[in-house]
Amino acid sequence: MSTSELPRKEANVLKGHEGAVLAARFNSDGNYCLSCGKDRTIRLWNPHRGIHIKTYKSHGREVRDVHVTLDNSKLCSCGGDRQIFYWDVSTGRVIRKFRGHDGEVNAVKFNEYASVVVSTGYDRSLRAWDCRSHSTEPIQIIDSFSDTVMSVCLTKTEIIGGSVDGTVRTFDIRIGREISDDLGQPVNCISLSNDNNCILANCLDSTLRLLDRSTGELLQEYKGHACKSYKMDCCLTNSDAHVTCGSEDGSIFFWDLVDASVVSKFRAHSSVVTSVSYHPKDNCMITSSVDSTVRVWKT
Amino acid sequence: MDSDEEDYVFFGTPIEREEEITSRRKKAAAEASGNLRSLPPWKQEVRDEEGRRRFHGAFTGGFSAGYFNTVGTKEGWAPQSFTSSRKSRAEVKQQSIFNFLDEDEKAELEGTLGTSSQFDTFGFTAAEFARKQADKEQKQRPSAIPGPVPDELVLPASESIGVKLLLKMGWRHGRAIKDSCARSLYDARREARKAFLAFASEDVKAPYPANDPDEEPESFMAQPVDNDTRSSKSLPAFVCNPKQDLHGLGYDPFKHAPEFREKKRLHLSNDKQHGYRKAISIKDSLFGSKSGKAAPGFGIGALEEYDAEDEDIYGAGYDFEETCVEEDEEPSRLSIESKQPSRLSIESKQKVVAKDQGVLPGFKVASVSDYQLERFDPPIIPKDFVPHHKFPGPLETLRKLDVPSPPEVPPPDDSNLKLLIEGVAKLVTRCGKLFEDLSRKKNQSNPLFSFLSGGDGHDYYERRLWEEHQKLGDQAKLSLDGKHSLSARKMTAEGRGKLLGEKPLDRSTKETTSSSIASRKFQLQFNLSDTFKKPDSFSKLPEVAKPFKDDPAKQERFEQFLKEKYEGGLRSTGYSSASNMSEAARAREKLDFEAAAEVLEKGKWGKESMVSTQPLDFLAAGMQFTSGGLEQVKDTHAEDLVTKEKYPRREEFQWRPLPVLCKRFDLIDPFMGKPPPAPRVRSKIDSLLFIPDSVKGAKPEEDAITNRDVPAAQTGAQKTIEGAAEEEIEIVAENVERPVDLYKAIFSDDSDEDVEDTITKKVEDPEKKIEVATTTLNRLIAGDFLESLGKELGFEVPPDTPYSTNKANSSAQIETPNSDAVIAKVGTVEGHRTFCAPNVGTGTSLNPEQETTQGGESPKNESIPGKSVRYSSKHTDGLSENISGTVNADKFPPEDKKVRSPSSCQRNWSSSSSSEYERSRKHSRRHRYRSSDSYSDSSSDDRDRYHSRSKGKRKRSSREKSSSSRKHSKHHKHRSRDSPSRSHHGSEGEHSESRKEKRKRRN
Repeated sequence: MSTSELPRKEANVLKGHEGAVLAARFNSDGNYCLSCGKDRTIRLWNPHRGIHIKTYKSHGREVRDVHVTLDNSKLCSCGGDRQIFYWDVSTGRVIRKFRGHDGEVNAVKFNEYASVVVSTGYDRSLRAWDCRSHSTEPIQIIDSFSDTVMSVCLTKTEIIGGSVDGTVRTFDIRIGREISDDLGQPVNCISLSNDNNCILANCLDSTLRLLDRSTGELLQEYKGHACKSYKMDCCLTNSDAHVTCGSEDGSIFFWDLVDASVVSKFRAHSSVVTSVSYHPKDNCMITSSVDSTVRVWKT
Repeated sequence: MDSDEEDYVFFGTPIEREEEITSRRKKAAAEASGNLRSLPPWKQEVRDEEGRRRFHGAFTGGFSAGYFNTVGTKEGWAPQSFTSSRKSRAEVKQQSIFNFLDEDEKAELEGTLGTSSQFDTFGFTAAEFARKQADKEQKQRPSAIPGPVPDELVLPASESIGVKLLLKMGWRHGRAIKDSCARSLYDARREARKAFLAFASEDVKAPYPANDPDEEPESFMAQPVDNDTRSSKSLPAFVCNPKQDLHGLGYDPFKHAPEFREKKRLHLSNDKQHGYRKAISIKDSLFGSKSGKAAPGFGIGALEEYDAEDEDIYGAGYDFEETCVEEDEEPSRLSIESKQPSRLSIESKQKVVAKDQGVLPGFKVASVSDYQLERFDPPIIPKDFVPHHKFPGPLETLRKLDVPSPPEVPPPDDSNLKLLIEGVAKLVTRCGKLFEDLSRKKNQSNPLFSFLSGGDGHDYYERRLWEEHQKLGDQAKLSLDGKHSLSARKMTAEGRGKLLGEKPLDRSTKETTSSSIASRKFQLQFNLSDTFKKPDSFSKLPEVAKPFKDDPAKQERFEQFLKEKYEGGLRSTGYSSASNMSEAARAREKLDFEAAAEVLEKGKWGKESMVSTQPLDFLAAGMQFTSGGLEQVKDTHAEDLVTKEKYPRREEFQWRPLPVLCKRFDLIDPFMGKPPPAPRVRSKIDSLLFIPDSVKGAKPEEDAITNRDVPAAQTGAQKTIEGAAEEEIEIVAENVERPVDLYKAIFSDDSDEDVEDTITKKVEDPEKKIEVATTTLNRLIAGDFLESLGKELGFEVPPDTPYSTNKANSSAQIETPNSDAVIAKVGTVEGHRTFCAPNVGTGTSLNPEQETTQGGESPKNESIPGKSVRYSSKHTDGLSENISGTVNADKFPPEDKKVRSPSSCQRNWSSSSSSEYERSRKHSRRHRYRSSDSYSDSSSDDRDRYHSRSKGKRKRSSREKSSSSRKHSKHHKHRSRDSPSRSHHGSEGEHSESRKEKRKRRN
């Protein structure tokens, strides 16, 4: 993908949230997107047509993260109310609430089969919840982190968490190992490359770090943006050619994956860009910001 | 009632009433007496002792319900308790029929006849015979195993009952079973056939009568005898022919063309033992084998068909293998062995034909075959190819070998000059011409060096130079063979320095002028030792950072020192360069070097070029080379360098996914079947001693330090009774943790807890540990354990502080506006305490308050745009919440996973940037180790040092998060709390002061 194909034109502005939008996520096929924010709602959008489809209200505090299953049937969300909500997408009702976190829950993810929700948060634990049984107890608690866990990623066999203690820990279920990569800087967000071989970690020293997962080697550092105090997402483009992240001044950065040069930078929001999500197939991206908008970017 | 019965039609049998049963019992009793025996069998009923009809089959209805129908015991049939066979597959028994039989059925089975082999009278003889038979067969048949088959491999089957019966009937082993009558009949017919055939063959043989006139009668004579012997043979044991072809199993390519089979076989056998056996003609085999297996003799006439009776099944000892006739046999032998004289004659005739015509009649071998084996010529080596590689640029030294040798010159009288000349010559050879020029230029004024520019001793110098070159050339050759790089061998400090772009060494100019000879001597020794050492030392050394870069001479000496230290080889005993150094200075320098070397050794991360940016600053830090002080300096050094260790750093631990998780992820549990051990407990003692944290078990002591430190700061700020109470709490809390420390000190190896613990550290640690252990033990014995702990922590232990004040004070303190963080800490401390002191009430009672403080803050937080991540700021209150949540649940069982360790909670208290923090914790720990030998005085010092450090970090974090006002104020609080403590301990040694400076700089 050449630089010219980076999504830089604003295609739609999704307005509706009151207050900061904390996360925006594409669904698995990229036809819809979800956003959640300080107004305690989750909203479902069609980003390509700019239509607001549904609002999910139940959270008592701000919603920090949302994730949707591969089959688009269920949602999970988490936030300041220390609970994980397990939603039915079509009816908009909460199927289950998972309580147990002792603090704000920062991130939540479904596993591949949508059978487990993995959540993580301020209580330094990473918890796996069972969606299939009716038990509301976590099926596993991982508490080897020593500080707030900011972000979690799942592969088919691993749970990866990034924490403020500077570590990215990979819990390999298959071999029963925990691999801890200490980055030395608080990790704000982690995201997997599309080939699952690398981890991109957004550190609080305004640096994105690309780690090789097999060796733990630091492959590249991406600098230029400002990320010092907000939870901000980062991601790789769907071709893994570029790295993208927002900045606290409201701009979006694109780096070349290999030589770490800033290939594109433009002002997208009037305030902090909290989340970026890249379309799984097309050159399309959504960003969310504390200016209460979600913007859709296309080439 | 009656009318009812009339109206209804009844189906089935009515349920019998109680009375009826009793009546039946009577009936049964009567039956037992034999009254009803006279009934015909189909009318008889089976009844049990109770007189009830016995149950016959599950679906015909049970007559007497209850266990008698099914099991027969009152308890009922207890199903076998399920035991998983997963772990003991091998133990699962084969079920036999007896598992399912009742007692009576078993009893019935008892009487059945069984076979047994114990009366095998003929077993042995039979086996013997079969073996012999097999041997015989073996000789006749091709086999995969050459030679007779070993007895172990071929075991005869034991005799069947048929054999036994036959034996009983008079049959003997080795005899065919034949009706004698049938046999005579058969024989007669056979004779007739033979006679007939003899006539037929006579016709063929007519042209060659000379061949066998005398044989024929003989053969006919032999025949009956032979027949007899043959018939006496029993059936041969079936011997499998080894599969030697490439056809599929069971496929017979010669099924419809058996003649080719013969051909093939012959071909094979010819190959095997060529010349020995002679091919018999195809025609012969055609004639002889109308069906696969022909009868002995000539079989039947051409017009006859085989009948079942015609096949001599018992005469099968004869087959085509036997028709193979040896070429040079005597006729008499032939007649006996082959029993087919007529056939032989045919064969001998055909032999000629076969030879002429080739393989088949009417077949001709092609004279020209277009099949050729393709051969490739080996590649042609170019003429100018030389098998040995020549390096394009011949080496300087090699080139110089061509120079004609200068005449042998006696060395100059002055031994000093001689030494000097030799040294210079050696150097020049090593370093190249350039060095000569350089030193000539530099030493123009020096009369000692006049030999360089053609003065006194120049001839000798030339000669030496040549010799050196010669020597070096030899060496180079050697090293070339050994694939050593010559450049590495050639390189000296100067050359390396040049390569690395260092400043040209001062010493080589300065010192040579001043005390030239001495330095030359040094150089000489240097070079001399150099020649005895591996050149690797040089290739390795450039990597090594240069701690004395600003003083090249010293650096030089340091490298020399390193070389000696690591390479061995020839030692310059005098520690040479010291001519102008005092003994003390030399000693100091040596220590200096040792320290630096150790640091370097520790720094395998030497690539980080830690020193290239800054010279080792332990010199600046006022290193004292007393034996005790040196270690200290070394340690701080190690720490400093460790802190700069490269990120990311990877560690691996064991982690146990729960089976449910594996199931949900559709993965196989890696720990399947194994009992879960507490995954990260480092030593058993941890769990033994009720350290509630299994995960962070290794770090209670560190946490204890942080734990200790912060309250210390507080007490510095506000020396109240509350503070004292807190200390008391601290001490009690220590009560739990100290013994672990003690045990740890004695037993545990810290190899896994400190990756960055360096070698020297490990060497030093054990003694320290022992010291810690002994001192602590002594105190235990002394009985003032608490107090000693308090001292160790640097607190004055108040004599008696009631717990109640603690509660009151801490709760009172909540009202003070300025100290929510402090409260939180108190809360955590108390939460912590609940493990050992009855203070749970305090801890919990505090919690609501904390909640409210937190609640009060959170709206503020929300007003900040964005979800700001205030990591450290929330730590205090958030953690206290955590603890309040968990502490109550914390009951003592140590394996309770949910128990969050107080220590791990406290870990995160005071600092935000955790990695730095961790490092500092490590520092402090190390300090603790060190301090243990001089408890009372150094511990406070340690704490101060640590404190200054943590302060620095706080500063940093505040810088980092200065955007948040709340945060900011909090940090001010931190600092305000810090500052008094700092002033309080302001009078600490200059060590920590300087270190503090460093710390800041680095941060």
